[in-house]
Amino acid sequence: MSKPTQVEPSFLHKLAKHSPKEGKWSSIRESSLKDLNASPFPHSKIEEWRFTDLKPFRKMDFVPMSEASLLPATDIEQYFIPESDRSRLVFINGKFEEKYSSIGGLGKGVTFGNLPDYENHSAVEEYLNKLVDYDKDVFVPYNGLMFEDGAFIHLEKGAKAEAPIQVLNLYTDSKQAYIATPRMLVVSEEESDVTIIEDHIGLTDNEYMTIPVCEVKAKQKAHIHHVRIQRDSINALHVSRPIAYVEKNSEYHSYTINLGAKLARNEPKVIQEDEEVDFTLDGLVLIDGEQIADTHSTMDHRFSHAESHQLHKVVVNGKAHSIFNGKIFVRRDAQKIDSFQENRNLLLSLDGKVNTKPQLEIFADDVLCSHGATIGQLDPEEVFYLQSRGMTEQKAKEVLTYAFALETIENMKVESVHKLLIDEVYRYTKANNVTKVTA
Amino acid sequence: MLELKDLHVEVEGEGIEILKGVNLKVNKGEIHAIMGPNGSGKSTLSKIVAGHPEYEVTSGDILYEGESILELDPDERAHKGIFLAFQYPVEVPGVTNTTLLRESYNTIAASRGREELDPLEFDDYIKDKLELVEMNRDFLERSVNAGFSGGEKKRNEIFQMAVLEPKLSLLDETDSGLDIDALKVVSKGINSLHGEDDAVVLITHYQRLLNYIEPDFVHVMIGGRIVKSGDKSLALKLEDQGYDWLETHANVNGEA
Repeated sequence: MSKPTQVEPSFLHKLAKHSPKEGKWSSIRESSLKDLNASPFPHSKIEEWRFTDLKPFRKMDFVPMSEASLLPATDIEQYFIPESDRSRLVFINGKFEEKYSSIGGLGKGVTFGNLPDYENHSAVEEYLNKLVDYDKDVFVPYNGLMFEDGAFIHLEKGAKAEAPIQVLNLYTDSKQAYIATPRMLVVSEEESDVTIIEDHIGLTDNEYMTIPVCEVKAKQKAHIHHVRIQRDSINALHVSRPIAYVEKNSEYHSYTINLGAKLARNEPKVIQEDEEVDFTLDGLVLIDGEQIADTHSTMDHRFSHAESHQLHKVVVNGKAHSIFNGKIFVRRDAQKIDSFQENRNLLLSLDGKVNTKPQLEIFADDVLCSHGATIGQLDPEEVFYLQSRGMTEQKAKEVLTYAFALETIENMKVESVHKLLIDEVYRYTKANNVTKVTA
Repeated sequence: MLELKDLHVEVEGEGIEILKGVNLKVNKGEIHAIMGPNGSGKSTLSKIVAGHPEYEVTSGDILYEGESILELDPDERAHKGIFLAFQYPVEVPGVTNTTLLRESYNTIAASRGREELDPLEFDDYIKDKLELVEMNRDFLERSVNAGFSGGEKKRNEIFQMAVLEPKLSLLDETDSGLDIDALKVVSKGINSLHGEDDAVVLITHYQRLLNYIEPDFVHVMIGGRIVKSGDKSLALKLEDQGYDWLETHANVNGEA
């Protein structure tokens, strides 16, 4: 290491020496190492991490990916969505798998594939690792130090992707806890249109950590529909950093579905780069047992005339813990902003916990920002209504939980994803029935 | 069919007594109307029979077909043929009317020894029922009560009653909030569903409903008790004179 560590070294700092020495991305690695060594690992005295139990990070004994003895992935076809049979990128533990991927093409001007194959692409040169912007953060530089493969999606001016692109991240079983660093860059040029289904799936219930970093650039009049499904292993840690920049007249709609992981920390950011934009940062969290799901989001309005929307719905059961911090910035010159934020939490158990904090910082005077946060239980009157129609109490609760979660799912444009998520919601509520019966 | 025996009911955990010794007997084939001023306990009466968990029976009993149903959950009571049309039907976004009704129909059918219906059979079965409440087919694919007008919600309750064919229907202010045309549709529905083998208990504020549905008995509830029972002429007298003359009566009874 060229520079001494300026902060208390954590396991991430210690693993930095296993950064690949050969291959591409040497300048990214160089700057990432500097950033990593200048950033402390989160601790509970930092405001942004105050509510998050960091013990799961300390309890695992991580080995570098290169030293993990990984078991092969089997039966993965079940996760392919039919709409993307010509447009699927598969990564196993962060490594690109050409034989499972399908790059049949989606029409003129639509490029997608493995990042190293596009090393000299102008969009990669211009944007890779340049969009990502998380202050004093150890996770992004760790990803920058370690990633080799990654998803690259590029749409030329006016290009419309004929089908959704599925980016499937699979995590296999291993004897040791490893750290995966999936990477993604999406550049949508003027007037282009694309739908991306990003899926993270733990194939067994083993321990691992994944640190996905995703950079998105929506240029003028571009439309991006981005679905992110987190179905990691129940013993996994998931720390994601998706950031999107939206230019004039563009639209970026992001939907994050948080189902798995022991601890998930998701920090989506959308940054407005010009006037007349429209963006969404919706989320659905379904957690149980000892799961922790933590969302710290930022919607940064820097110019006038923006419409932004954030509906973050959470269902908590067991001893699970949900944390939500939704920052909405409206800068001084950003007038005529119409921003909506709502965080609704459904607590199904006595031991569940919810922390919610809408955080609006508004420096302009002609804006419309509405926000709300509620924490509640199922309405007994609603349960009674369904029971009086013959449903058992459990079935009634299942139906009402589904109805609660549905609002965030119904915007899914891709039919099979819509169906998949409905199944996931039902699986969640059914699983709860089992716990209750045996408890 | 239904017999309330000196029924005392409190709000669960609050110790506020709402029903203070109600006696009522409803036989097969009968229509009973229960009237009374606001807060007299009319709605509570219908909810407690359907098994609402918010209320607790402190003494007395509810017999249905000769057996006490106090220990039964609301769904078990529904399975036995008890139906409550809600004063404020609940919205369930994301669950279509058809889904809810088929689920209900089949669970109730199973426990009443009827055949369960598959989606196609069920489709046939509910066609006539839709006509009864003059509702469009597209109504079936809408989420239960979500975005419905007040009138549509009430019609939906009667539609559910038509589909489930209960033995005992408790209709809690089904007429309130209806315009005159909707009131006619709802009344026609109730009349054609009612027969020799079932019973209907109407909870209402207004005599006007009884212009369309002719009750065999009219009861007046005041202060958690039935203070007067009679035939339909009692409803007309109430319309004419209000409840004042009965409130005195109630006090006299209370002291007695």
